[in-house]
Amino acid sequence: MKPFINAKGLVHEYSRRDEEGNVTGINRALDGIDIEVKAGGFIAVLGANGSGKSTFAKHLNALLVPTEGTLYVDGMDTSEQKNNLPIRRTAGMVFQNPDNQIISNVVEEDVGFGPENMGVPTEEIWRRVEESLKSVGMYEYRKDSPNHLSGGQKQRIAIAGIMAMKPKCIVLDEPTAMLDPSGRKAVIKTVKELNKKENITIILITHYMEEVTGADYVYVMSEGQVKMKGTPRQVFARSEELAKYRLMVPEVTKIALGLSKKGINIPKDILYPEELTDILLKIKSGVL
Amino acid sequence: MIRDITIGQYYATESIIHKLDPRVKVVCTFAYIISLFCFNQLSGYIIAALFFWCITKLSKVPFKFIVRGIKPILFMLVFTALLNLFWTSGEHILIKYGVITITAEGVKRTIFMALRLVFLIIGSSLMTLATTPNQLTDAIEKLLRPLNKLKVPVHEVAMMMSIALRFIPILVEETDKIMKAQLARGADFESGNIFHRIKSMAPIIIPLFVSAARRATDLALAMDARCYNGGEGRTKMKPLKYKKQDIIAYLIMLLYITVIIIAGKYLPF
Ligand SMILES: Nc1ncnc2c1ncn2[C@@H]1O[C@H](COP(=O)(O)OP(=O)(O)OP(=O)(O)O)[C@@H](O)[C@H]1O
Ligand SMILES: [Mg+2]
Repeated sequence: MKPFINAKGLVHEYSRRDEEGNVTGINRALDGIDIEVKAGGFIAVLGANGSGKSTFAKHLNALLVPTEGTLYVDGMDTSEQKNNLPIRRTAGMVFQNPDNQIISNVVEEDVGFGPENMGVPTEEIWRRVEESLKSVGMYEYRKDSPNHLSGGQKQRIAIAGIMAMKPKCIVLDEPTAMLDPSGRKAVIKTVKELNKKENITIILITHYMEEVTGADYVYVMSEGQVKMKGTPRQVFARSEELAKYRLMVPEVTKIALGLSKKGINIPKDILYPEELTDILLKIKSGVL
Repeated sequence: MIRDITIGQYYATESIIHKLDPRVKVVCTFAYIISLFCFNQLSGYIIAALFFWCITKLSKVPFKFIVRGIKPILFMLVFTALLNLFWTSGEHILIKYGVITITAEGVKRTIFMALRLVFLIIGSSLMTLATTPNQLTDAIEKLLRPLNKLKVPVHEVAMMMSIALRFIPILVEETDKIMKAQLARGADFESGNIFHRIKSMAPIIIPLFVSAARRATDLALAMDARCYNGGEGRTKMKPLKYKKQDIIAYLIMLLYITVIIIAGKYLPF
């Protein structure tokens, strides 16, 4: 099957210019990225600050175009201008700052903004707004002002705004970076449900390890390159390497690693707290 | 909470006036203001006042909210009134004391002018109290659409207005935050002469501008990502459509204007 997202040798250079517009410096933010994502997949992109995650995300939405290499989204070449709108319909994007991506001052009108732009008929807009607000669990806030919502709620509104455009894929660029732990949980839960129930391809960009445990596949970026890839278990088992890229494995994995260093016979790729308690209980009762 | 501040002054309630198409309210308010200048005798003011009183009752907006609109212009009101009082020449001199002369014509004109201003203010107050800012921008966009042909970017201006409505409370809160942060660093906004105080505002204004610019770039990206492409080919989630009640409202307004004009011509006082 053809991959839904296909990046080959993707390079992006930001050029610094002086007042006259002459290039004074070049910053290679992406340096030969190869990523393939299947339709309906849930992939996570990890990386420390400045590793090029946001730059990559913006390519998926044709907000930036490759300097070198190619990127196809659902078979469309992002470097062709005429594909801009179709690509933005296919791949929706949720940004980091919840305040700066909500356009209207009534929740339902904000969710309707995307469909309005796409020229969807009025009754259909209302149907979509209702449906997507329900699917992120924010339907009862539809008449409110976004200014009165918490960060996590605003982020879910932003997700609903994307959902209403009926994209095949949603790219989330650190959607939880400005949220408190409970807001973070609610957003990640929403995202996982969309992936499972609606079969929407998810690309989650983050630097919180706990959030990627549900992903099918994880890419680790550093200095504009993909340095590691694999299932979450495969990636987290290599904690020393992750530390090199200024990333830390989840707390549970760290505890398991520490225990195994102390000579306790425990797998290195534990992802969930329940998993760890399970194994520890088994060891205690002598099963293992 | 500072985020609760509302721009405009919408008074949320259910009333016939609230439910009218916002275009009706904008057009009728303009017509009402113009009508105030179509007469110059007492009966006209009585009719205008009665009409306004009926609309206010229908709108269910408490009267004290409406008169609140007069407060900010009270100074201007008194000032123009005094000018009119002292500078109108006429035949029936009431008081003459040194350079000050007050004539009967002056008194009449003063009262009428003040009344006119008051009606003008409370009339537009009532409109903003009974219409949400969003509806207002929608109405303005639709009413001014013909100007599109003259290359006036009507849709863009309306979009800017509604984005401003969303971001003003956020920026107000941010100003408050920056101010507190600078106070914590020992900044002093209160003392010194006026120049000193203006200068001490720089540590607030500059971060505020930087942050506003960042928000603007972020928002532009977010709008792009959601397929925003200007007004063309856009549909509306809440399109404005005239209903029966709106036509009736226009007819009532027309009737009022006719009455006012006839009264101005034929009534003796
Ligand atoms: N508009 C720009 N102009 C010039 N350089 C830029 C621009 N945006 C990003 N960069 C540079 O590109 C590199 C990658 O930035 P990017 O924003 O993609 O990183 P990131 O992984 O998203 O980081 P963060 O975790 O901070 O969001 C950085 O070195 C950054 O300084
Ligand atoms: Mg980023």
